[in-house]
Amino acid sequence: MVTAGIDIGHESVSVVVLDDDAILGHATFVISGEVGATARLAFERTLDRLGIARASIDRIFATGVARENVALADGHRTQMLSHARGAHWWFPGARTVIDVGAEGSRAMRCDASGHLTNFALNDKCASGSGVFLETVAGMLDVPLADMGALSLRAPRPVVLTSTCAVFAESEIVAEIHRGTSTEDILRGVNESMVSKIAAIGRRVGIVPDVVLTGGVARNVGVVQALRELLEMDLAVPEHPEITGALGAALLAREPAGAARA
Amino acid sequence: MIVCGIDVGARTAKAVVLADGEIAAHSVIRTGPQSAAAAVAAFEAAMATTSLRREDVEFTVATGYGRVVVPFAQRNVTEIACHARGSHHFFPEVRTILDMGGQDCKAIRCDETGKVTNFLMNDKCAAGTGRSLEVMASLLQVRLEDVGPLSLEANDGLAKISNTCVVFAKSEVLALARQGVPTRDILGGLCDGVADRVKRLLRGVGVEEDFVISGGISKNVGVVRRIEQKLGVTSHICFEPQIVGAVGAALFAQAFLERKASTGP
Repeated sequence: MVTAGIDIGHESVSVVVLDDDAILGHATFVISGEVGATARLAFERTLDRLGIARASIDRIFATGVARENVALADGHRTQMLSHARGAHWWFPGARTVIDVGAEGSRAMRCDASGHLTNFALNDKCASGSGVFLETVAGMLDVPLADMGALSLRAPRPVVLTSTCAVFAESEIVAEIHRGTSTEDILRGVNESMVSKIAAIGRRVGIVPDVVLTGGVARNVGVVQALRELLEMDLAVPEHPEITGALGAALLAREPAGAARA
Repeated sequence: MIVCGIDVGARTAKAVVLADGEIAAHSVIRTGPQSAAAAVAAFEAAMATTSLRREDVEFTVATGYGRVVVPFAQRNVTEIACHARGSHHFFPEVRTILDMGGQDCKAIRCDETGKVTNFLMNDKCAAGTGRSLEVMASLLQVRLEDVGPLSLEANDGLAKISNTCVVFAKSEVLALARQGVPTRDILGGLCDGVADRVKRLLRGVGVEEDFVISGGISKNVGVVRRIEQKLGVTSHICFEPQIVGAVGAALFAQAFLERKASTGP
């Protein structure tokens, strides 16, 4: 059975095509313009790249914040269900999944078969979200992809006291004026990020194995800081940003009429 | 008796000089990255408007977020206490005070002597603080002082802004602007949102009819009107609402000096 999952978030859309239990292909695009059209374009481009005809896909499920705008999908599932299922596919031992995306983070608990048992989320506040990291990257003129590695070289990380991302920006400006190194600021930012991410995790209870998903999981500095804070190992998928789409594709294999959530 | 109050806030530093209980001079300046330098600059700006000399000032009390770094202050007092004291000086009948600053918002209850009996504060989140309006004004390319008047012209109805978080609301505001929603309607929605946040804080301490608003946002007529409408009260605002905390600090300085004089050296 060939299924597809489309995860449409705030900043990017990911597509995964699954043939039984194997990933045939995946792609991630930045959203520009209307979300429904972006999702369709992303899906068509992914199929083109893979050389797969639309007709050979048995079922398509959408997930993510704008999942209901994906007209070509046969159904949709919440991000919580999708991330739990996707993380469980990467790491069958996963019992806690922490997803950190552009506009929020969520923590999920799942059972041995990848079924969601509990979750907590923050989508109200930008502290601890990917958007905050992007803002910091812009302020310090560091490419997003380099932030994590740079932060690991920090000898004396700064301590950011603000909860609010807006106030934290002022603290960072003050550090820049003071001549604090970019590395030390980045490390301080990561430590501030993970304190908020861990707080969401603690609301569901953090039980190993812990998997970190979402685009922010690509930042090795954040991953390392979270490992240190939780005093626990964290598993990060090879492509953390496609976990939601992968989960949607996995959920699409289940019989139609299965409970929607 | 000449005393001074300095209020070093997150965005501005204020100085007030009291001569025998009357305001002899005051100043409001932007705070740069150095709080201590801002305190000195605010003091000098106030002194420059008088014929007083620096050594005439017998006692200085500092307050505000940067109160511990004011180099020439003998004491420091919390901004909650100073705002209550300062508001009581301007409006002795007042029992509820709302101070809306650049980076926080405080709802304070006081007794008939201006002593704090209860307070609630938001200094964790930029939503509902002056900072949110600064961010949005610059995003929409509107001067900060025009935000209030423009927001009251929102005759096509307020734009609905669903995000509380300033960071997320920025994207929402940009999207509205791109859709062609008039700036005044967006500003109307933003000022309404600030008033809603403030209302929740005030409900927590209880609002009485005699109600003072101080701090920079009290200069924003769009926010003030909406708070009044939502609470069904009329607010008292003094001639320079940004100096209320510094006035309170100066009054504490006066009290310290009087106590010292009565107990002897």
